[in-house]
Order: sequence, then structure tokens, then C-alpha cells
Amino acid sequence: MNKYWVITKEVYKKNIKSFGFIAMVLSPLVLVAVVAGITYYFSQEEQTEPDTQIAVISENETINQIFSSQDWDFQIDDDIKEESEAEEALLDESISGYLTAEVENGTVNAELVYTDDFSDQSSIIQESLSNFQTMLRADELNLGQEDVAKLSEPVTLVEQHVDIEEGSLTEEDFSDTIVQQGSAYFVSIAIMIFIMTYAGIIAEEVANEKGTRIMEIILSSASATNHFFGKLTGVMLVLLTQITIYAVIGFGAYIYFKDADIVQSALNQIDLASILQELLGFTIIFFIAGVLMYVVLAAFFGSLATKMEDVNKAVTPIVFMALIGFYIGIFAFTSPDNTFVEVFSYIPLFTPFVMPFRIAAETVSTLGIWLSIIGTIGFAILISFVSLAFYRSNVLIYSDTNLLGTIKRSWSIMQSNRKARKNNSQ
Amino acid sequence: MLEVKNIKKTFGSLTAVDDLEFNIKPGEIMGLIGQNGAGKTTTFRIILNLLTPDNGHVLWNNKYLTTETFNKIGYLPEERGLYPKVTIENQLLYFAQLRGKKKSEIKPLIDHWLEKFDVKGKKTDKVKTLSKGNQQKVQLISTLIHQPELIILDEPFSGLDPVNAELLEDGIREAQANGASIIFSSHNMNNVEELCHSLIMLKDGRPVLNGTVKDIRQQFGRTKLFLESDLSHEDLKQFPGVKQVEKTSDNIDIVYLTDTEDGKLIFNEATKNGYIPTFSQQPPTLEEIFKRMAGENNE
Repeated sequence: MNKYWVITKEVYKKNIKSFGFIAMVLSPLVLVAVVAGITYYFSQEEQTEPDTQIAVISENETINQIFSSQDWDFQIDDDIKEESEAEEALLDESISGYLTAEVENGTVNAELVYTDDFSDQSSIIQESLSNFQTMLRADELNLGQEDVAKLSEPVTLVEQHVDIEEGSLTEEDFSDTIVQQGSAYFVSIAIMIFIMTYAGIIAEEVANEKGTRIMEIILSSASATNHFFGKLTGVMLVLLTQITIYAVIGFGAYIYFKDADIVQSALNQIDLASILQELLGFTIIFFIAGVLMYVVLAAFFGSLATKMEDVNKAVTPIVFMALIGFYIGIFAFTSPDNTFVEVFSYIPLFTPFVMPFRIAAETVSTLGIWLSIIGTIGFAILISFVSLAFYRSNVLIYSDTNLLGTIKRSWSIMQSNRKARKNNSQ
Repeated sequence: MLEVKNIKKTFGSLTAVDDLEFNIKPGEIMGLIGQNGAGKTTTFRIILNLLTPDNGHVLWNNKYLTTETFNKIGYLPEERGLYPKVTIENQLLYFAQLRGKKKSEIKPLIDHWLEKFDVKGKKTDKVKTLSKGNQQKVQLISTLIHQPELIILDEPFSGLDPVNAELLEDGIREAQANGASIIFSSHNMNNVEELCHSLIMLKDGRPVLNGTVKDIRQQFGRTKLFLESDLSHEDLKQFPGVKQVEKTSDNIDIVYLTDTEDGKLIFNEATKNGYIPTFSQQPPTLEEIFKRMAGENNE
């Protein structure tokens, strides 16, 4: 077997089997499960146990009947018949409000006294009372059910929200922008999380091998190129595995739960297909390029560390870069037109964080998007090879100087090797 | 055969190795000695192609070292390193695969090697559960299991007890019998003297000793005389060429001479009444030579 694949396989196997990987895959799932569980519990709670109580005080039988017969989100305290009793009950907080309603000459006069607990129900009460009044008036005018329905039929309004773009009117799909912004937000958080985790993993891999001198054995067995790219591929495969696991679980959950009411109502509000389309488009390119870029940098910085304990120190610059990118992205979310945002969206290390927001806000042309994609990928390739060049000499330096000192020494070894090779070939 | 031809390596103003030249034929063992920082590890890295020399070159069977040659090398770095969370078996398999071996070739050999080096632990144990000495033995196995033709051992004996050191010596001799060219560095001159055919001592990157162990010792002359006789220390000091006289705990006099020839007069005087139990004129031990060379300013 090719040594590149031997290394890739070893890195992959070691990481997949580690407890860390299982924890890393499960923790977001557990989080989602807990949030979903809590949401479900509370929504059930709300539906089954309307614990707010009000009193209805009316001499009109029909009104009393409306409130006692129907299924409301609140309960009616049947024992309270007088306004004074109701006031008392409201004071000792055994009810959240009371309604007094009388009918006079076909007009319903009602008064609702309520506390905060009941505030979101008042419109329903008004609606029921209005309906009752409509029925009363209809009776007075000798109108049948159908006539009433005709009278209350709403006007059909066709809405068209437009944008003025390059001298013509284009239809604005409002939900699309929200979906795009949502997925841009999602991507920038996902990139951040994946960069943090996978940059840590690869930097640790490299520093560990260097610190334990395994690196010297490996580099006397296989070329630095094989080792560097083997490690990158192994780690990227671990990342793909994690994403695949989520995709499979997500798909499975969709199939299993798609008939449940709560999921149905959620699915009606969002367009799943357009979200997926959005995710599979430019966003995924930015995601992959972004993670790749930072993982390569992490391998480079990891190779600068002398011991395992120095890994965190060595990857600090990457974490800072990612954080800066992330916050510019958040800033771009609110002001995508800002010049500052525009400039940063073309700087490769920040593109994956910033560009998705600009795409979502439609402040960038297709050409601009492709330029930034080419720039990002080109930069990723460039730093791969620069990192590789340093990598070979980095791993032979065990001095305890700071990062800059190590880079300087690495540079001098590189130069010395290069010069020597040039001399030898002459 | 490994040929190191006149190599020189500098890092900025520091000369790490200079003017170094040697050959190791198949079945030969060479010792590389020198104080810390003398250039031993740099020499190994140059042989392994991890560093490129400014001058000179390294040839293996008349060719430059390439990725192909990597498969024939066994290298034990100075500081030992294994993956702590990987089992002994997988560790050995991984390193052997990196040396171009197939899993199926190495798997049947593992039990035999673990037994040979008396590793305490099962092959399914994780490396971190082993003691330091046993980890070191696992690493030695990984250096040797793929039957390398060029074996480079950086301080292989450090940290091993005498029993394990002997196991290692046996392992090295076995590889030698199989025709490997072996080079190792050591601070323990006994190991070097017992195992090596030839040796090189580096000082500040330059070879100060280079040759077979016997020749090197001889070139310093038989200047150390072990003597049991009627002659007192005062008598001995009167002889020409006597630098110093000491007494061992066994009541044997040690006389340090300037020249091999100086022994003859003492011999004649000591034996004028006939039998004496000890008269042994020896070249200095490697250790003494090492100390002398390390202390000397050879400019």
C-alpha cells in the first residue's frame, strides 16, 4: 500500500476510535435532543393544562353558554357569579381575570379585567363576542347562515413585494433572504466550531508526533509530503465522517418524525428544499475551503510546537484569526453594505465567514462570489505548500524559543538545505 | 555498503559536522562517540536525508538515498517515541507498513520478537500501560522487525539495565550476522568496545578518532602498566618516562608511562629477582581515550 494511504488510514482510524470523537459527534446531538425535549414538554404542557382561570359574569344565558361549552385555552370558574366576588378572587390570585358582559338592544357591552397571565387571550374573547353580536344582528335582520357568511367574507389581496434592480422591477422573494441569512449564520457558526475542533486535532497530532520524536522515524520512512498530506486527508475524512453521521441521523429523524404534528407545523413554516439547496450551493464551498485553510495552518503551527503542552500556545494565532473572521461575519449580518465588510470578504482567511452574509444580503455580484472562491481556494493551496516547505525543517527543531524564533530557525535550516542541494546539483 | 564522503554541514555560523568520512560494509558495526553536541545526531540526520549536507554526500550501495532506500533503514531516535494509546501490535504494524512491509508479512513475526526481547505485556496492550524499559524494547523491535539493511541507533543503550542491554547486544549481533550495516552512538564505551569493529569520535563536528577499535587503542601506545613487584612508588618514580603512580584497592600499582618503550626498564628491574605475579602493559581503555580527547584542545 502507498505510504500516503498508510498514514491517512492510521490517522483516520486512531481518531475515529478515540473517545474524543464519539463525544464530539454526540454532544451537539445531545444538545439538540435536550432542546427539542424541553420545547416539546412545554408545548405539551401548554396544550393540556390551561392553568389560567377567569370568571364570566353575565345574565345572558347564551354568553354563559359560549364560555362554558367551548374548549378554551383557559378555564372558567363557574362558582363566581358576582363582580365583587370576582374582584376578590382576582386579588387573591385564584383567577387571572374576569369578564362582565351584557346585551342591550342587540349590542354586546363587555368589560375584561385581567392580569399579565391572561394578556394574550383578550383578542380571542373579543372575537367570540363579536361573532355572538353578528349572530344577534343577523337574527334581528332575519338573515340566514349563508347571508352572514357572505357578509363576512374577506377580500382577496394578492401581494407582490418588488425590488428595483437595474432599472426593472424584480419580485423579491422575502422568505428566500431569510433562509439565506439563516444558512449564512449557520455556516459561520459551523465553520467556527469545526475549525476550533479540527485545528486542535491536527495541531495535536503533529505536535504529539514531533514531541515524541515519532516524526523522525516517520520522516525517515516516508516523504514529508506524504506525511503532511496523509495527515490532512485523514483529518478531513474524520470531518466528513462526522458530517455524514449528522446527515444520516437528520434524514432518519426526518423520516421517523415527519408525520408528527409539531414537525408538520414547523415544516409548513420553512421551505426545507430551499434551505438544503442554499446549503449545498456556495455555502458548502466556503465551508470546505474555510475548514481546509485553517486545518492546514493548524498543521503548520502544530509543527512549530516542541511539546504537546505548547499546542494551545501554537494554535492561538489561528484561533484569533477565526474569531476576527467570525465577528466580522456577525457585523456583516447587520450591515452587509459596509466598505469594511466588503474588503474583508475578499481576504481569503475571512472570506468563509463574511461572504455568505453578503450573498444572503445580495450585495455582491456573481463575479465577486467566484473571485472570492477562487481566491480562497488558491490561498488554501498556496499555504498548503508553504506550510509543507516549513514543515520538513520545523519538525527538527526542539528549541524552547518562541514561535517567531522557531520560524526563523526553521527558515535558516530550509535555506541551508536549499543552498546545499543547489551546490550539490551543480 | 554505506559510504559517507567528506560531509560538512553548517547552520549559519555554527559548523555542526565537518570533514567526516567513513564506510560501513555489510555485517560491520560502527560506533559513533562524542560529547553531547559533538554532531552525532546531525550526522544521523544527514545519513537519513532529513538534512542535506553543504559538502560531500552519502551513498548507499553506490546510490543516493531515495524513498526506495527508506524501506531498508531501521532508525532508533535518541528520544524514544511511540503512540501511547495504540496497542503494541498496531504500533509495530504501522511502522513496518511505513517501511514498505505488508501487514501479513509482519503479523506472524510479532510474537517471536516480543519473546526475544522479553517484553512484559500482551501484544494487545496499549503502549502506555508498559513500563519505560518495555516501551523502549517495543521501539527497538520496531527498528529491527522489518529486517533493515542499514541500522542507525541513537543511544540505544541509555536507560537499559544490564540484562536488557545484553538482549539488545544480541539483537544487534543477529542483525550483523544477517549482513546489516550498523551504526550506533553511545556514551558507554564498554558497549562500543564489545560490539564495534570500528569507531569514530566527533569533537565539535570534526572526527578526532577514526579507525578500528584495536588500532585506535594501539595508536595511544601501551602506556598503562599494571604491576605487582617489590618496587616502591618512590622507586618507580625514578624511572624515565613515568608520569604518575597509583595503587588500586587490590594492591596493584598502576604506572602511567609516556611511551611504550619506557616499560622495558621497569620490567628488567622488577624481574631481576625472578617471578613477579603481575606485569601487564596495556593501551588506555576507550573510556580513558574518550576523556582525554574530550578534554584536549585539538586546535
